[in-house]
Amino acid sequence: MTPDGSILAGEGLHKTYGRTTALDGADFSVHPGEVVAVMGPSGSGKSTLLHCLAGIVRPDSGSVRYDGRELTTLPDAERSALRRTDFGFVFQFGQLVPELTCLENVALPLRLNGTKRKIAEATAREWLARLEADDIHGKRPGEISGGQGQRVAVARALAGRPRVLFADEPTGALDSLNGERVLTLLTDAARDTSAAVVLVTHEPRVAAYSDREITVRDGRVRESLAGL
Amino acid sequence: MTTLHAARSTGSRSGRPPHGSPGGPAAWLRDLAMGARFAVTGGREGWFRTALSAIGVGIGVAVLLLACSAPTVLDAWHGREKARENLGQMHEPRASDRTVRYAQADTTFHGEPVRGRLVRPDGAHPPVPPGIAHLPGPGEMVVSPALRALLAAPDSAPLRARLDYKVVGTIGDSGLLGPQELTFVAWLDDRSAGEAYRISRFGKIFDPQPPSARLVLLTVLACVVLLMPVVVFIGTAVRFGGDRREARLAALRLVGADIPTTRRIAAGEAVVGAALGLAAGLLIFLAGRQAVGAVTLWGVNVFPADVVPSPGLAALVAVLVPAASVLVTLFAQRAVTAEPLGVVRNRPVRRRRLGWRLALPLTGLALLLSSAWAPQAPDGWFPVVRLALGAALLLLGVTALLPWLVEAVVARLRGGPVAWQLTVRRLQLDSGAAHRAVSGITVAVAGALALHMVFTTYQAGYAQAYEESASRPVIQLSGSTASWGQARDALTTLRRTSGVTWAHGTVRAPAGREGDRGTRDADGYRSVQTAMVTVGDCAELRRKARIGSCRDGDVFVAKDRGGRATDPAFVRPGVRLNLNPPEGYEETGPPRPWTVPDTARRVQTVRHPGEDLPGDVLATPGALPTGRLQAPTTELLVGYDKARESDAVERIRTVAFRVNPGLRELSAVDNPHDRQYDGLRTALFLGSVIVLLLIGAGLIVSTVEQLRERRRLLSVLDAFGTRRATMGWSLLWQTAIPVALGLALAVTAGLGLGAVLLTLSGAEVHLDGAVIAGVAGSAGGVVLLVTLLSLPPLWRMMRPDGLRTE
Repeated sequence: MTPDGSILAGEGLHKTYGRTTALDGADFSVHPGEVVAVMGPSGSGKSTLLHCLAGIVRPDSGSVRYDGRELTTLPDAERSALRRTDFGFVFQFGQLVPELTCLENVALPLRLNGTKRKIAEATAREWLARLEADDIHGKRPGEISGGQGQRVAVARALAGRPRVLFADEPTGALDSLNGERVLTLLTDAARDTSAAVVLVTHEPRVAAYSDREITVRDGRVRESLAGL
Repeated sequence: MTTLHAARSTGSRSGRPPHGSPGGPAAWLRDLAMGARFAVTGGREGWFRTALSAIGVGIGVAVLLLACSAPTVLDAWHGREKARENLGQMHEPRASDRTVRYAQADTTFHGEPVRGRLVRPDGAHPPVPPGIAHLPGPGEMVVSPALRALLAAPDSAPLRARLDYKVVGTIGDSGLLGPQELTFVAWLDDRSAGEAYRISRFGKIFDPQPPSARLVLLTVLACVVLLMPVVVFIGTAVRFGGDRREARLAALRLVGADIPTTRRIAAGEAVVGAALGLAAGLLIFLAGRQAVGAVTLWGVNVFPADVVPSPGLAALVAVLVPAASVLVTLFAQRAVTAEPLGVVRNRPVRRRRLGWRLALPLTGLALLLSSAWAPQAPDGWFPVVRLALGAALLLLGVTALLPWLVEAVVARLRGGPVAWQLTVRRLQLDSGAAHRAVSGITVAVAGALALHMVFTTYQAGYAQAYEESASRPVIQLSGSTASWGQARDALTTLRRTSGVTWAHGTVRAPAGREGDRGTRDADGYRSVQTAMVTVGDCAELRRKARIGSCRDGDVFVAKDRGGRATDPAFVRPGVRLNLNPPEGYEETGPPRPWTVPDTARRVQTVRHPGEDLPGDVLATPGALPTGRLQAPTTELLVGYDKARESDAVERIRTVAFRVNPGLRELSAVDNPHDRQYDGLRTALFLGSVIVLLLIGAGLIVSTVEQLRERRRLLSVLDAFGTRRATMGWSLLWQTAIPVALGLALAVTAGLGLGAVLLTLSGAEVHLDGAVIAGVAGSAGGVVLLVTLLSLPPLWRMMRPDGLRTE
């Protein structure tokens, strides 16, 4: 297990892109069912931290342990498999496959994981209903609003019942009303399924939905204040 | 951007409102110039796209220039033939210091025709054909460079033995049709004296025969089939990089360019691509022209220097290609609007209509079928235009049908794994880019298959004819002869030749009825009813008729017509014949009466398949000396066995040539068409593959651009664990589905077009499964190649870099 009963923990993470240092010894941990807001100004390294924690990017040094396994040494195929089975993702925009319907988009991670189409789509339909988006299941992303799109993205991220949900500026492209509704739905659903949530944002009002806040500045993590 | 600001300032200064589109020719030129600059300042990728467009357009232009050269090539070819030939004058000139006796002595060596001419000057100042400084003397010949090389080849011993003349010179280019032509001019000796006629100059030939319906059909079809994909391909090539261009135009809109301005900028960019394409096309044409000399099609081989585009047509290409490029670019922009925040696809969601798309090929088909009621030999421009238009509409119809077919088929596709679903859904949402890229393949393959089918059928026809001929290993020779003795000697020599199993022959000549002067037609040609007199010894006559007992001095009269359509009823024992019938334009001289003896027996003739008619009067040399006949000819039949002598045919030809160089071979022993059609089919196949590869290159460009557009999405898909294989398969399907549908349509249209054309020309339809499989395999290969080459960019785009926003 990871330290202190956390499900996911990163220690001493370093990552540079060319001459730019994105992470400079960052530490992070999240417990099951916990919502952690990762805050910081633009370019501080918060998205890189999320990518390293999710196994999308391999850090230059440091360790990422998930459920007792060291992610940084896992081969790409295993990290991909982990992302399919244990993690969920919500991004700011451009994440839905434009040619697939909303229902098919939500079912996609399940199908990638080998679930039969009918079962995957039935599950997807349930999640769309839960996220108040069941009326748009047959529409394509180009035919729905930004708020509806984010709900679909959240449904997709949660449909596979991930143990960790990574959300990178999930409401960045939404107005405040829609943003709040999406965040409420996201955090409620995550808590219902005991999923840990890593919520990257630079907006304090978004961070207010978290249990705990951390701030990333110059590639280092500083504990901020407790949330709700 | 500076240009745009400048354009605005110009508008303000001229009193126009500060907002709105700047106008005037100067602003237009600036916009066009800006577009032109974009074509060449896009960095490495920009250059690559421009270069690909230029190469694509260039190949199209090169083919168009080649097609534009056809009239001049044919003119030059006919001009060369006319300048060096004289097939005889209606009124033969009297012998003089400036005349020459002239005969043909064509031969064949291992299937290659060798043109031979024999000359013997009557005086010191004979006419000389072009390319030759002096006529050869006794025992001498001048040869073309290709024949000189062939004679020097190690396995050309039989040819050296045949053309047993001393080579005293080389025929210059002006005396040749093409660099590969095998030809010689040799001294005319007594062996061929009977073949010769007197001429006073070279440069006289009857106008070429109007081309046969089959040749017209093939030529028109080849032009249409070769040019249609070129036109479609040029249309595809100028749209390489279209997505990137649209994105750039959107960026320009953001800084204030209005829609007409963006169109002018796009036009400027297209013109540069087309102009570079024209230049590339000219270079490809000039380079490719050098290879023309090495190619022989339908026996036509030409000098590279003769391949010059007709100026008018070349000018048309120079104007039309850039104009078409601009039109295609602007037409493509009809469906999109470059808005400041991005490109808006304003293509309506409504389904594509089948009606007008089907109307195109059906109209083409109707035009082709209506040709069935036309005369077999097309006369005038209308049938040719109808044929060309029919084939063009049918092929164009394929490109019109393809979008509907792709849409209709993908709309019905369901289920399948994720990769399949991603592809199908993508095609269901927008199949435009896919079918646009594939339409070039479709037309090219449809056209190539139709031509293949026509060639295969014609080749099969020749093959069958030659097979039948080869099943009877006999060479038939015909030529003039001085006497039966000469023919007998030839038979004796031939029988001694290695590989010869038997040889037969007779001497033949026409005979008229005594006193019959016949009638002259409007041209002054006198025709009389004639009978055929055959002279040979008893053994030879026995092959011609059931004569029973026979001695030299006997004469026989055919009791049947021997298969002849006309009945020379005047031939009977005791009748007086004229052995010098007054037939032809010229007076033939006094009659040569000869009486068929009363003792002549009536006999039943025997007709052997593939041989000449036995004749109406069969006489032994003792009864009718051949010297009395008018222009007697000998017909020799030589059987051979290749098991005994593998090179028997060449040996027979050599012996025959040495007996009389003027002997013509009438039988079809070699099948030159096999090689010609094989060459054509290979060229066509290679052409199809090159077009496929080029279109494949275009597909790669558009695929990579699509991937780049979806970079973020691909990163997201990778983030939630999508396997690379899944995306790879999706990419494969994305290319394979439209290509497969395009191919299915192409095969249907190609075979349909081929079948219609063959039916029109009265030929039996033959299918070549290997060719269809080959073309389909090539297309499959292109799909794989496009996918394989698109995978590295796909893997790159799937990196998490796409998720970074800072």
